[in-house]
Order: sequence, then C-alpha cells, then structure tokens
Amino acid sequence: MLLLDYQNVLIQSLLTERFSGAPPVSIDQVVSDFDNVAFHVSTPETKSKILISIAVKCYKELLQYGAQEVLEREYGTYIVSPEAGYDFSVLIDLDNLPADQEAREDLVRRVSLLKRNAMAAPFERAFADFARRQEEASKFTSESAPEGVREGGEVMAIHYRDEEAIYIKASHDRVTVIFSTIFREETDRVFGKVFLQEFVDARRRAIQNAPQVLFRNEPPLELQGVRGLADGTNGEVGYVTFVLFPRHLTLQRRQETISHIQTFRDYFHYHIKASKAYIHSRMRRRTADFLQVLNRARPENEEKERKTASGRTFRVQG
Amino acid sequence: MASQTPAVVIDNGTGFSKLGFAGNDSPSFVFPTAIATKGGPGGAGGSGSGRPAVANKPSFLTGGTGSGGALSSKRGTEDLDFFIGDEALAAASGPGYGIHYPVRHGQVENWDYMERFWSNSIFKYLRVEPEDHYFLLTEPPLNPPENRENTAEIMFESFNCAGLYIAVQAVLALAASWTSSKVSDRSLTGTVIDSGDGVTHVIPVAEGYVIGSSIKSIPIAGRDITYFVQSLLRDRGEADSSLKTAERVKEEYCYVCPDIVKEFSRFDREPDRFLKHTVTSPNGRSVTVDVGYERFLAPEIFFNPEIYSSDFLTPLPTVVDGVIQSSPIDVRRGLYKNIVLSGGSTLYKDFGRRLQRDIKHMVDARIRASEVRSGGKKSGGLEVQVVTHKRQRHGPWFGGSLLGQTPEFRSYCHTKAEYDEIGPSIVRRFNLIGGPGST
Repeated sequence: MLLLDYQNVLIQSLLTERFSGAPPVSIDQVVSDFDNVAFHVSTPETKSKILISIAVKCYKELLQYGAQEVLEREYGTYIVSPEAGYDFSVLIDLDNLPADQEAREDLVRRVSLLKRNAMAAPFERAFADFARRQEEASKFTSESAPEGVREGGEVMAIHYRDEEAIYIKASHDRVTVIFSTIFREETDRVFGKVFLQEFVDARRRAIQNAPQVLFRNEPPLELQGVRGLADGTNGEVGYVTFVLFPRHLTLQRRQETISHIQTFRDYFHYHIKASKAYIHSRMRRRTADFLQVLNRARPENEEKERKTASGRTFRVQG
Repeated sequence: MASQTPAVVIDNGTGFSKLGFAGNDSPSFVFPTAIATKGGPGGAGGSGSGRPAVANKPSFLTGGTGSGGALSSKRGTEDLDFFIGDEALAAASGPGYGIHYPVRHGQVENWDYMERFWSNSIFKYLRVEPEDHYFLLTEPPLNPPENRENTAEIMFESFNCAGLYIAVQAVLALAASWTSSKVSDRSLTGTVIDSGDGVTHVIPVAEGYVIGSSIKSIPIAGRDITYFVQSLLRDRGEADSSLKTAERVKEEYCYVCPDIVKEFSRFDREPDRFLKHTVTSPNGRSVTVDVGYERFLAPEIFFNPEIYSSDFLTPLPTVVDGVIQSSPIDVRRGLYKNIVLSGGSTLYKDFGRRLQRDIKHMVDARIRASEVRSGGKKSGGLEVQVVTHKRQRHGPWFGGSLLGQTPEFRSYCHTKAEYDEIGPSIVRRFNLIGGPGST
C-alpha cells in the first residue's frame, strides 16, 4: 500500500453491506479517522435509517471557506440537521435508495468521502480564486500589473490539528499550500527530513510535472503577517510548501489534486512509520545472522579438566 | 488535547483479528490474521524467505544460500507490497503472493509480519494517527514477557502510540460477562471457557490474575465440529458435503440437547425436526441438503468426545471440574460460581445450560460422597453457574472495549514518555483495570 485511501473504509464496507439487501440491523458506532475526525454511524429511529455524523476540529474555519456549499453540492437531499455534538450529518433511508446499482455505489463512495469533502472547501475556493486571478492577470504584462493582481489573495488557514495547520494561498499563476508539521520524536524528525529532501529532489530528478516542494524551519514568506505561527528555532516545527502550477489546477485534475494533497500529512507519517518497520525487520534479520556467526564461533576442542577416578586433577607444571 | 480520542482496541487471535474503538459494542473490523507478501509462502519456521533481505552482507556472512546479496541495490518499496485480512486471502489465491499467519497458537511468531500487519490495520483500516490514540492490545494467558516487550517496542518505537495497555484475553472475557444480567458483582474471578476455531482453553482467573498452572486445553474446537458435520453429511451421501456447507449447517442449525438418546427418539417422533438446507453455488445452481441428527450430534462432541475422536476422551464438563479442583482451594467457590463462555464455538443454543447441569451433577455427587464419609454432616452446597451473554462471540474484544472507555483507563496505560524513561521492561507489569482496589 503506497498511497492511503481517501475514503473511510468502515463507512464504505458498512454501507455496501447494508445496500446489498442484508436484513436491517441496528448500528451504533463511533469511529475515528485521521486528524481527530470522529464519525458516528447510528440508526436512531428505525433500523432502515442510517445517520452518519462527522465531527471535524476545524469545522468553523471550514464553514468560513464555504464548506456548506461543497457539502450541499455533494450530499444534497441527504443532509439533515447535525446531531448534537457533531458538525454535519447525513441520513440515508434504506427503503428509499436509488434504484440502479451504479447510483448506489456512487452514493456509498460519496458518503465514505465525507471527511475529504468537508476538508475540500478551502481548496476549491482557492482554485476558483486562482482561475479568476489568472483571467485577470492575462490582461496585463508582468511589469504593468497592478499591485493587487501580482500579490495574490489572502492566506486561508485551517487548523486541522492541535498544533498543525494548512495554509492555502491563491495567486495568479499558482496556488501555494503550506503544511506546518511538528515532530515530537527525534527519530521521526530525521526520517521526516530525509523524506522531505526526496520530495524536494523528485522534481529535479525524474518527475518534471510534480509540484514544487520546499521545506524549511522558518515560516515561509507567504505566511508573513499570519499570527500565531510557531517558529522553528528548535527544529521541531517545519513548513512544507507545495506550489501547485496551473497544470495541476485544470478542471479535470482538481478533485484528484485535492484528494492527494489532503492526505499528505497522514501519508508522510505513514511512510515514516513504514520505513521504521522496514529497518526493524532488517535489524532482526541481521541480529539473527550475527547470532548464527556467534554460535559457529565455538572453540574447536575445548580444554577440559581431566580428573582421576578419585577426583584429583593433574596440573601441567609450567 | 481538546476532546479525548477513543482508545483503539485490537485483539489479534490465531484465526481472526478484531479491531475497533473502545465504547462500541462490536468491533469495526473482523478479518483473518493473515498477511500476503510477494514471493512464495515462507518456511514453517518463519526465519528464512519472506523477510526483506539485508543489504551489503559482510563477506563472512554469505555462507550457503546467499539469498540477500542481489537485493542490496534495491531502493524500491517492496516492503509495502503486501495485503492483510480478507484482501490477503484474495491476493494469495492469485499468483505472486504467498500467505503467512503471523500468530500461531495465540502467540506472535513472526514479528516482521506482525509489525506490518499492525501498520496496515492502523493506517488502512482504522485510519488513526497512533500518536493521538491510546491502544489496548490483548495477549493469550501464559504469554512470555519477552513477547510483551516486543509488542511494546513495536507499538512505541515504530508507531509512537500515545499509550499502551496489554490485557490478558481471559480477563477481558470475564469483563465482557459483566453485561449479563446473571452477573451481580463485577468480580474478576471466574473460569473462562474460550473456544475458538483451533483449540479450546479452560482458564481459571482469580482476582484478575490467571492461575497458569491450572490451565487446560482441549483439542476440540470449531474446526473439529465442522469436520464432524462434514463427515456425517458424507456418510449419508448428501449432494453437497463441502467444508463450507458443513460450516453453514453448523452455524445455522446446531444446538445442544439435554440427552442424546431422548433426542434421537424425539427426532423419530417429530419428523418436522429434520430440516432442509439449500446451497446455492456461485454458478446459480442450487441443491438441497438434508439436515438431521447432526443438529444436536455436532456440539455433542464437547460432552461425549468419543463419538468424534479416539485419542481425546475427556468430556468438557470433567475438564472444567478438574481445572477448578486443581486451583487453590480458597478461590474454587468463586470459580464454580462464575464460569464464563467466550468465543464462537460456545454460541450453540443451550450450551451453557448443559454445561452447568453436567458440572452441577459432578459437584453434587462429590458433596454427597463426602457427606456420607463424614457420617451424616450436612454440606452447605456449592453454587455452579455458567454465564452466557450476548457478547460471547467477540468476548475479549468487547471486554477491552468496555474497559477502554472507562475514564480511568488512561491512568492504567503506560505512556510513551514512561516507555522512553524506563524501556521495554515497563510493560512487564500493568495494573489491573477493574481489579481489586480500583473502584
């Protein structure tokens, strides 16, 4: 498994099973997803009505950036007023499902992408903003452009974890996405650095189409004027900047780009952990090999103390 | 942390792994503890192929096979090319992948596979960042402390999980029985009968501690019942006697009867007790299979093993009685009073009732004999109670979920900071949740 899935596997498998016509059962499960997102899947009234609620830490910020519209577009008539303690709910009536199989599968897919869609709003807004600015900027040459066009829009901040955030900024020729990352663990920081260096180098080496990646410990220039930034003097905090170029932002690619970039942090941490697992297995293997060598390294004919029948020993006079 | 994230409860059994979050009443995922990796299935010892090869082997090490040498230049992601659970079974049926079972007899055998199995369970299925969650893992009784330390090393060093608690499955099964209405006091003393697919264990637990010297296991469990049903179907020459059909018949129709002889005559008197089972094969054809005496004969092999096997002949109630009799005398009363069932093979209807009756017979006979020997003294009697409850199937997991949602759970865990301070030996001791002195 190289990439993480975008959808929640539990919701997906659960709905697929329910939709397949299995006898209705009552469900009541609270499950987590990455980044402190919590889902509550339940059947509060009857067994045929499944309520799926999501709680996102930064939902207020997402609402500011237009999450409501995105969710309404995706879920339309399934939306119900949010359950207490949660931010957003959809209700699926098993007796009232779309008739054909494809529409059902599509519904399962959409619901299992609930977290992704909720987080997608600021990205979509930034991409739309980018398109508008590109349009505007095409009227000017680079020298004559007025101040407002060259500079780009304001920075949208999503504090999706307690100490980490995503910052998105749209300009006329690119969209910049900045992740602030934090490493509690010394080892992880080292691994992280190696990985990020690979990201930075990837563009130089093989994949010319990749977005440009920058990594530094101080807040990058784009974030000037944003309050509450941790500075990376002790090396714990790092800022990873993705520069998305117009070719990543074409209409066909947008959704894919959003899905990919959202999972960046989890992807990153998953791979740090997977490489540790890999190194551990090599360590185990090597230890086993060394043990073999040690076992082989017994002296060939060990000098044994020889005794007479009465228990006396002979000592060589030296 | 703003709101407490639910603890992750993982119960890795020999056959199936149960994964989920504390507070739920059923695991989110139940799938085989299997991992499929590139390359053929590894040797039985698990110390050879299948593991990633060590690069740049020093020359003095390359003796004989030298399987590792050519891999030194590999910088790819071969180590991530694997599947777990149901996907592993699917992948292994195709070419290129070999299947491995990292847990044998309840204990982790291959830590490389287990580490990757956990990695995939956490990131792909549960989708949690381990740094945000506390983990509750289970271990079989008599698990060596080294295995615990290995588990802790992986959990803390690879995954940086926030906190860890490792509980004994039998103790969790006792905790799961607290949901039953028959249980009045929440004690952690009792006898656990854990019958899964491969083997059945009878484990006495006193005040949350397993009495290791008295554990008995019985080589009769779910798989044997399936084989027995299959052999009965074969003997009758049914149209379909595959293992899968036998398993379906076992799960859907079997029950425990109070007396075989009476049950036989009852079947002869009431012909509607014979049922028909319809098997639909993937190609759409369907055949019907008669279901007869195996309905009560199959689970009967627990009580009369001689009808199935010729080398193991002790009935389950006798084993349970023996286990309790070999335990310290001061806990026997508690052990008889709280006999808890756990695992899929204890789900037959009236299984608990029959077991209780048989044990009770044995105990009463013994009391009567000693009354006679003592010359007319009267005994106060002994209470025998077998507890059946709704959560039996995933008993240990559910017990973990119950304990994991209690507010004090986190204070029982060892945290990452403590691990860094003391080292792996810290997990040799855990305080008992819900044990004496906690409430």
